[in-house]
Amino acid sequence: MFDKMTLQVLANHARAAAENMAHTLHRTAHSAFVKETQDFTVMLMDRRGDTFAVPMDLGATWYPGLTYGRAIDMVEDYRPGDVAFTNDPYSGHVATHAPDTHLWKPVFAEDEIVAWTGGHIHNTDMGGAVPASLSRSLTEIHQEGLRFPPMKLVNEGVFDEQIMRIMSTNVRKPDLNTGDIKALVGALNTGERKVHAMIERFGKTGFVSGVAALKDQAEAQARAILQQIPDGDYVFADYADEDSDEANPCRLKLTLKIRDDAAILDFTGSDPQLGSSLNVPSGGDPRHTILLVGVYYVLYTLNPKILLNTGLTRPFSCIAPEGTVLNPVAPAAVGMRSLTCARLRSVIFGAFAQAIPDKMPAAPAGNNCIINVMTRDERTQKTVIAAINPVVGGGGGMPHRDGTNGSGADAAYLKNTPIEITETEVPVEFVRYGLAQDSGGPGLWRGGLATEMAFKVFAPDSRITARNRDRSFFRPWGTGGGRAAGLAAMTVNPDTPQAHSQGSKDTAILQPGDVLAVRSAGGGGRGNPMLRDPARVARDVACGYVSVQAARRDYGVVLAGGAVDVAATQALRAAQPAVSKAFFHFGPEREGYEAQWTDAAYDRLTDILAALPIHWRFFTKTEIFRRIDGSGPDAVDAAFAATCARFPELPYHGAMQEAAE
Amino acid sequence: MDGQSMGEDWKIGVDIGGTFMDFCALEANSGRMASLKVLTTPDDPGAELSRGLDLLAEREGLDPSRVSRFVHGTTVGINTIIQRKGAKLALLTNAGFEDVIELARLRMPEMYSLFCHRPEPLIPRDMIFGLPVRMRPDGTRVDAPDAVEGVVAQARAAGAQGIIVALLHAWRDSRQEAEIRAQIETLAPDLFVFTSAEVWPVIREYERTSTAILNGYVHPRVSGYLNALEARLAAKAVPARAMLTKSNGGLMSAHEGRRDCVSMLLSGTASGVIGAAWLARQAGESRILTLDIGGTSADFALIIDGAVQFGSDELVGEFPLHIPSVSVSSIGIGGGSIASVDAQGLLRVGPESAGSTPGPACYGRGGTRPTVTDAMVVCGWLGHSEMAYGQLQMTPDLARDAVAPLAQAMGRSVEEVAQAILDIAISEMFVEVEKLSSRAGVDLRDFALMPFGGGGPMLGAFLAREIGMSRVIAPRRPGVVSALGGLVADLRGDFIRTVFAGLDRDTLPLLQDHFRALSQEGHAWLVAQGHTGAVDLKLSADMRYGGQSYEIEVALEPDWLHDESKMAQAFHQTHARIYDFDDPAGRVEVVNLRLSALGDAPKPDLGEAADVVPADPRAVSVYIDGWRDVALYTRASLAPAATFEGPAIVTQEDTTFAIPPGAVARVDDTLNIHLEFAK
Repeated sequence: MFDKMTLQVLANHARAAAENMAHTLHRTAHSAFVKETQDFTVMLMDRRGDTFAVPMDLGATWYPGLTYGRAIDMVEDYRPGDVAFTNDPYSGHVATHAPDTHLWKPVFAEDEIVAWTGGHIHNTDMGGAVPASLSRSLTEIHQEGLRFPPMKLVNEGVFDEQIMRIMSTNVRKPDLNTGDIKALVGALNTGERKVHAMIERFGKTGFVSGVAALKDQAEAQARAILQQIPDGDYVFADYADEDSDEANPCRLKLTLKIRDDAAILDFTGSDPQLGSSLNVPSGGDPRHTILLVGVYYVLYTLNPKILLNTGLTRPFSCIAPEGTVLNPVAPAAVGMRSLTCARLRSVIFGAFAQAIPDKMPAAPAGNNCIINVMTRDERTQKTVIAAINPVVGGGGGMPHRDGTNGSGADAAYLKNTPIEITETEVPVEFVRYGLAQDSGGPGLWRGGLATEMAFKVFAPDSRITARNRDRSFFRPWGTGGGRAAGLAAMTVNPDTPQAHSQGSKDTAILQPGDVLAVRSAGGGGRGNPMLRDPARVARDVACGYVSVQAARRDYGVVLAGGAVDVAATQALRAAQPAVSKAFFHFGPEREGYEAQWTDAAYDRLTDILAALPIHWRFFTKTEIFRRIDGSGPDAVDAAFAATCARFPELPYHGAMQEAAE
Repeated sequence: MDGQSMGEDWKIGVDIGGTFMDFCALEANSGRMASLKVLTTPDDPGAELSRGLDLLAEREGLDPSRVSRFVHGTTVGINTIIQRKGAKLALLTNAGFEDVIELARLRMPEMYSLFCHRPEPLIPRDMIFGLPVRMRPDGTRVDAPDAVEGVVAQARAAGAQGIIVALLHAWRDSRQEAEIRAQIETLAPDLFVFTSAEVWPVIREYERTSTAILNGYVHPRVSGYLNALEARLAAKAVPARAMLTKSNGGLMSAHEGRRDCVSMLLSGTASGVIGAAWLARQAGESRILTLDIGGTSADFALIIDGAVQFGSDELVGEFPLHIPSVSVSSIGIGGGSIASVDAQGLLRVGPESAGSTPGPACYGRGGTRPTVTDAMVVCGWLGHSEMAYGQLQMTPDLARDAVAPLAQAMGRSVEEVAQAILDIAISEMFVEVEKLSSRAGVDLRDFALMPFGGGGPMLGAFLAREIGMSRVIAPRRPGVVSALGGLVADLRGDFIRTVFAGLDRDTLPLLQDHFRALSQEGHAWLVAQGHTGAVDLKLSADMRYGGQSYEIEVALEPDWLHDESKMAQAFHQTHARIYDFDDPAGRVEVVNLRLSALGDAPKPDLGEAADVVPADPRAVSVYIDGWRDVALYTRASLAPAATFEGPAIVTQEDTTFAIPPGAVARVDDTLNIHLEFAK
């Protein structure tokens, strides 16, 4: 047992090693994905492959709870100097889409593996049907690029040139892949050296027992947090706007069961696996890190001193039935799982918001949309492909503070590109880049405002993609009397007679002189807006965050010449109808949608689908959506019956039985 | 004036910190050096300067009229920002882009927290006014001369004291900003105006605008302070022209500082590194990690092959500063950091700090929670002599009382817990040092650690041991290294032109034009600072491969501007050195051309072995896994060539140097103490 009094010293050495690895990778990597977007992770793992230390300054936030154990076990006979790797989402369940390439290296002490160093990089391209290997429209993993199951990439310090040649032959930017992979191997070597230094500093036994104590400490911290949360079942569902090119909503549903110092996250009732690349490959692992990212945010928010390692996943257990969007079976496509993951996080936030309403913020905007443009530069006569900017929205209203404007909460890691740089490199002209008035959910604490970006192109057939665009139909929700936020939108030639809304689409084709305006959603409001300090409302109006009309309509605040008209405000607020007792406010779109697709109706749908063979499920969902008329479970049954009648091949017996029960 | 002072030539460096104003005074003819600390007087800024000069006159016989050089580093600018006491400003920018300042670069710290947020901007949104003007990247313009008057009237009505004008693409052509500025000066001569291009004309609108805002925000207080300073010096009949230390490690005249306020925001930390680099050079060392520990933070900087490192994203309070600055990493662990036990029984240090008020418990100024300094006292490393020239007294019992509750909670002895607090504090610093060295790609085992400041020498040797560094150099006067840094610094003005073009033959004439203009600016600047000596112009360029979104600074020879292949070669080599790879076939872009104009300062001569006061060490009790006797030396007693072994303690007026077991100490000719750890 490691001495608790000095455990923090070991924790700091572990963190220092992880930070060192991250800076080494960041410094020596080649691609913008690693250098700028920081889409990478590095970690130290114990002898079983469980992460025990991650960096806090650099990289993505998804993998402090990742375990490499299964992938490690798929390779045999590790020797000092070996590095193994995989990018296959369906082997070992380490990689979660094909561009993410994970590497791991054993650390030996006296002929024995005592630890592993590991990490991942997002390769710019892994081959497959489309550049960058990512498109929502893809339907099977084979279209998403070359896959390597777990195997050795480096043998006792020597790269396997055959593997590198196969990769270089099949991907679009081989130099970037090679450069980044070599940089990651360099970082793993650095980590290995640092672990050896720790073994020297603390002794082999001290190191091994100390690492175990670090995980125990994180577990104890997580359990202490859970113990403060009232026991109970907290049910929440949220939707992605579109499940595929079929454009029906995709529901994620969570029953969060808090029991003393442990929690079960039951995702039963979420959509079947989709005929698009929005699936999240968790492999059914009850503690898969990708299912728990929202939990990390909650735990860190409640205790910023929590140690981030696999120990904190121990009190949690996830149920994601096989053949569903959160546990697809091969060959379901998974490339665009980040969109679904954003919704997965909001489902977790919504469940915890009910359990600990005093401590949780309202919904963040939840659409981490990245705009790419392909156009022609008339000056150089060259085709230019460039990422413009992320368009993300604000955080939700907090317990004691307005939501952060423009980005925040679970999107704080994204960085923008200066307009001056983009305009100089890419033939586009920005018309606007800023915050959208009245887009934050009204509340005692207002939701953070949406970002709005508009730019003009100059060449014919300029193609725009807005990856991960969402929240054009289902608003970020408000809590505790707070209101839902403004919706995302993408419009060609806004404020003109030719204005054309793109709906939920994530692409657009522009002609010379066209302006495209992309707006994110805002953050949800928290608490009753009629109780917001009128001075704050006046301040919001002065700053242009809220319009005079919205101040009156949403906050009951009457302004005269910029100042609060106290008497008129009191009168207006007194005349407001009683506030709904509902904890969540979803906005008219979801309320309208759920008038037809009630919770019971959607539960019936997922029950029916769950009883079908996996390859029939998404097809049947689409057909039921095509046929549904009316509302509630009966309407679902009727639509399913009509579907069965149209497709007698449908092996429906089990499903009908389920539905009848 | 008495006869003795007739031939004297005094040079004075002064640096203000949180609690003290430090003086480093050198009499150039004799090489005699004096140092002094005076408590700051926040209520009467400048009074501490008079007091310090009086004390120097009293103790050292300084005659103010014999001061030929006066260099000052001040925190007035950075304090204005941290305390949010700056000017009320309005920002005039392009309509449609008023939120650039609030959005910043989007990414924010604490990225695992749902409560993460950016700092409140220094100009609130209702003081930002959009003008329907635009400069396009091709240089064509949309102007709106009629719009300015209304906006200025609004800004003035809202109480603006000054106006910042920042427009898109002003890096390429500053005339649009300049024309608006001229209009404002006619409309509202009582408001001060800064344009983004005049402050720092670099591409990237957020960075350029925020730098201009920082400049305007501190301008009234800084220029008021400098007026008062010059008045004090005049009242004392000091003939030297007042000079200021800058964030870039150089100097400028106080006169220049009234408008170029942003250049001095990090002057204290920068001149500390300059002073340390100079001391290291004197001691024959070229690879140094500097460590300065204060009450609330520890600052680190690397000196690589004799060269101070520069960065352009240092933090000023919560805001990034985008002008060239000496690169210093900081972590919120210092002597005042508080130790606590969390709910799971884990002992931690920081991030809470007792700061300078109430300060550590042992100071007896009302602090009751255990700090790192208290842990040093409990273990017996501190508390054997007075501190800070007698201005602080330590009461060891108060330190023990503060640590006792933790000891009780953990079921351990007070000494064990105190030692663990020190181990943890050092390991926190270790994390920051690992980040710093891996960013720079250096192996610190080849470096020596130079601790300075009041707190650096207390923990420096322990940190060196933790990192695996085998050498530590403790300068004779660690408390006044920043003040000394000002004395040895050169005049230094930085100038930039954004080019943003591919590196090819067609770009060369533009580069040559820019170089000519920059050289003229540099020469004119040095003349304006009163410089008459030799001029050194250092040329460099920020370059990158096409497709990269970050650039690196590459040192250039002026005649390479006639040969793009030489420039490209220099870039490939620099890229390989920093990032471990290059791409000789890759397309190279030049983002900025930079020029630093340096005016050489006369360097002092350290000849001070004279003031050794022989005394025998005495034994004191120190806890190192158990109580044991440790030799305590006074610094004044250590003559050149003296050697002794750790564990040991060396006390002096402004700090205590703690030397752990396993170190061998040796005193050199200029009275630095060198430690060597056995491998």
